Amino acid sequence: MSLSARIRTIYGKELVDILRDRRTLIAMIIVPIVLYPLLMLGSIQAVSYQADSLGEEVLVIGVVGERQQQLLAMLIERDHRALARERRRLGPDSPEAQALPVGIEKPRIVPFASEADLQESIRERSVHAGVNFERDALYLGLDESNPITIAADLEDMRSEYVASRLRELFDRTAERSNKRRLRQQQLPEQFLYPLSVTLHNLSSPPSILGQILPLILILMTITGAIYPAIDLTAGERERGTLESLMVSPVPVLDLIVGKFLVVTTVAILGATLNLVSVTATVYFGGFDRMIAQTSGDIPVGRMLLILVCLVPFAVLMSAIMIAVCSYARTFKEAQNYVTPVILAVLVPGGIAALPATRLEGVMLVMPVGNMVLLARDLLLGAAMSYWTVTLVLLSTTLYAGAAVAVAAYVFGKESVVFADAASIKVMFSRALARPTDAPSVPMALIFVALLFPTWFFIQSALSPGPGESAEYLLRTTGYLMPLLFVVLPAGVLWYWKVNVRETFRLHWPATRHLLAALIVGAAAWVPAHEVSVFQRGLMGLPAGAEESFELLGSTIAQMSPGSVVVLLALIPAICEELLFRGYLLGGLGAASRKWTAIVASAVVFAVFHFMLFKFAVTAALGVVLAYLCWQSGSILPAMVAHVVHNGLNALSPLYPAWPRALGLNPEDPWAHLPIPLVLAGCVALAAGVWLSARPVSRAAIGARHAASGN
Amino acid sequence: MNVGAQIKHGGSVRVNAGRSGGLKAGRPDGKRGLQCPAVDMIVADKLVKLFPTPDGREKRAVNGLSFTVRQGQIYGLLGPNGAGKTTTLRMLSGLMAPTSGTARLAGFDVGTQPQRVKEILGFLTANTGLYQRLTARELLVYFAQLHQMGRRAASARAAELIEWLGIGSFAHLRCGALSTGQKQRVNIARALIADPPILIMDEPTLGLDVISNRVILEYIRKARDSGKTIILSTHYLDEAETLCDEIGLLHEGILVAAGTLDALRAATGEERLSNIFLTTIHADEKVGAIVP
Repeated sequence: MSLSARIRTIYGKELVDILRDRRTLIAMIIVPIVLYPLLMLGSIQAVSYQADSLGEEVLVIGVVGERQQQLLAMLIERDHRALARERRRLGPDSPEAQALPVGIEKPRIVPFASEADLQESIRERSVHAGVNFERDALYLGLDESNPITIAADLEDMRSEYVASRLRELFDRTAERSNKRRLRQQQLPEQFLYPLSVTLHNLSSPPSILGQILPLILILMTITGAIYPAIDLTAGERERGTLESLMVSPVPVLDLIVGKFLVVTTVAILGATLNLVSVTATVYFGGFDRMIAQTSGDIPVGRMLLILVCLVPFAVLMSAIMIAVCSYARTFKEAQNYVTPVILAVLVPGGIAALPATRLEGVMLVMPVGNMVLLARDLLLGAAMSYWTVTLVLLSTTLYAGAAVAVAAYVFGKESVVFADAASIKVMFSRALARPTDAPSVPMALIFVALLFPTWFFIQSALSPGPGESAEYLLRTTGYLMPLLFVVLPAGVLWYWKVNVRETFRLHWPATRHLLAALIVGAAAWVPAHEVSVFQRGLMGLPAGAEESFELLGSTIAQMSPGSVVVLLALIPAICEELLFRGYLLGGLGAASRKWTAIVASAVVFAVFHFMLFKFAVTAALGVVLAYLCWQSGSILPAMVAHVVHNGLNALSPLYPAWPRALGLNPEDPWAHLPIPLVLAGCVALAAGVWLSARPVSRAAIGARHAASGN
Repeated sequence: MNVGAQIKHGGSVRVNAGRSGGLKAGRPDGKRGLQCPAVDMIVADKLVKLFPTPDGREKRAVNGLSFTVRQGQIYGLLGPNGAGKTTTLRMLSGLMAPTSGTARLAGFDVGTQPQRVKEILGFLTANTGLYQRLTARELLVYFAQLHQMGRRAASARAAELIEWLGIGSFAHLRCGALSTGQKQRVNIARALIADPPILIMDEPTLGLDVISNRVILEYIRKARDSGKTIILSTHYLDEAETLCDEIGLLHEGILVAAGTLDALRAATGEERLSNIFLTTIHADEKVGAIVP
């Protein structure tokens, strides 16, 4: 039975099993279809009912002083008369008349001796709001004004309502007074308004929806993933079915992938139902205008786009939930683990939901946060580059892959399968770790997944400002790379008793592999250059790329050749090879097929370069380097090829005579190479690969193992 | 693919002629049993399992356990609570990794070939749960598919077992609605779904009523008579007396006695297995184990 057929079998059974569960159906179907419309309709009706009942209540207004009390009563009365006149003028049934305010109805105006007494009564909520006129006369001279203070408790809905009605009353009165004064002085209306300012709102119609909906959808997706994740992992263990499953001839990874796909399916189904339900409630419930503010159109196309974007998020959340719940032995234990995870997810989600947060910098790779921002920007129709979308999706996929690997690692552990076997702490005990030659897939993927946002953040933080040199970035990353790419993974290997020498493939290679490496390193730049030129002609360069290349070139031109070789060739080559072709390829290669491991490690290598434009070239180079490493059984050929390739590229700005000698124009870096040179480069690269095709002999591997004591 | 057939005819089976000496497998009294070649289907060699304890020390759950089970035999692994029976069975089935020592099932090493071991193994415990929301038939088809059978072959095999084990009347019911005895019958069918040559049964009759108990024991006999090699762990010593061809007595992780019932009787001078058991434990504490 093939891998996919086995996973299909597990997926089919688990899906049937979970969909037959009442609790899943309630969480997935009943809640979105019934509860959300009910909640939405109910809350809107409650608000509307409260607003209506406030309008019918007697509004108690306190005023400091007896004369001021009469003054306010008179103002309210005049306001009523003025509004009635205006209504008659417009025609009582006209829309303009309907839109006119109603004035303050049913007021009860209570006089107070002092402002302190008035404030005390407002705090006690026996009076809704208060007014203090500094002067008791309504009409003043042209050089005078009457300062008025409105006192209110804005935490009290009634008080706030009355205060706003009073404010509107005074604004209308002041406007009428202004008009009267202008007429008396025979001045035009523009006299008071030399500037006529209008705010033109350019935001897309569903602005509020755009801010809130991504977060709601994300919460709904998480909610959809929780129950099936618990049921299919901790639930399985608690019901005693896990033992029979684990003695079936199915690899744990297949089991976890099957279960993970079911959780993802249920999460996406739940999110879809939620989205449809919310959209239908808004549309058919007549709330579209209230939410969308302007046209009231529901952007169905964008909703579908968001749903598509939700898929990687559902994948990530399902993987995280499966990983967390795999660690639990009981349903209850899993629920306890899930709660902090949801809170942890809400932090980046909440940051992303803030209107000022943008999808840039470290937010591009922040788990969860980047998906919230992507969904929001898509809904709002914001312009974004393919590079942005690709980076968000690739980083999310990397995190999801790492989470699935963790789940597979934890799920099959005997200390988790059997409660009586040992404490879960055993899993992290160095003393009980068994010596191995290669790290496990989870060990490899988790480290790389954690390093990815860290490295991105470091590079973003160190990136030079306008007009600055990139030397500081190059030097600092040159110091940090050995620590993060070599010392840390070596520490992880040491802790788990993984053979560092075998993992990093620290062996002396055969001469032909070294020769192959030199040829590959010297020739690879030719096809790489041609692919880049072709790609630029086809798709153009992403924004800022040209400036980055120029900045790097100008920075290199100011550095010494020694520094360039160390910072751009030696350190990156050694550190990246040890991490990607040593640690990562070692972990992936121990558990998967040769080409799966080679391609996967090359893709991760390319993602780590954070440049979509160079993605294809870097990934292809990663495949060649991984192949060299795999065939030779040593890290050294890949390092040599990497150093030569980087060195040639980095030193060319310092030695313009080199490109000229090859018939190139250093002023035009995007020109095609001469055809003979392209042919020679491709043939040399193929020769290098061919030379390395014969792997190192089994006898040599045996001798190495004997030497390393295994 | 019929795993059982492959094992019987394939080249993977290791025949330990030196140790089994060409003896016929089956019941020693010769009343019944298949006349099969004397194949060592299960070989445990110096199995050790250590568990860390909260105080930082290690508990030796199984301590240097070695035994052999020949094809067509029922081997009873008996002992008090905490003797290490369940841990031993889990190590044999590949669910737990031994701290040291090896075990081979039909020639496959449980440490290095766990997938192959799982292909030839049926595993059953009293606590094994069933998927509550699947019907008995769906469950059997699912496990058959996990054992690399196609959909049609899986359905046919499930139907065969449903008839053989008398599950037909409740095969359409969800497992959550079945009685304890019915569940255990479905569990036996699950363990036999791939027609495995080896069965490991840990307390298969625990908590069953007299009738269900008898039915299950009858199925175990039938399985043995069809040539299967069975390891049975049970607290019910009378069951072991009537069923087992050989018995191993475990005490504190050590095999203190092993052999046929007659051999154990001769060695201890006791008739009943319960007395043999107690005598052996005391003898173990005083003078040493009775292991041939």
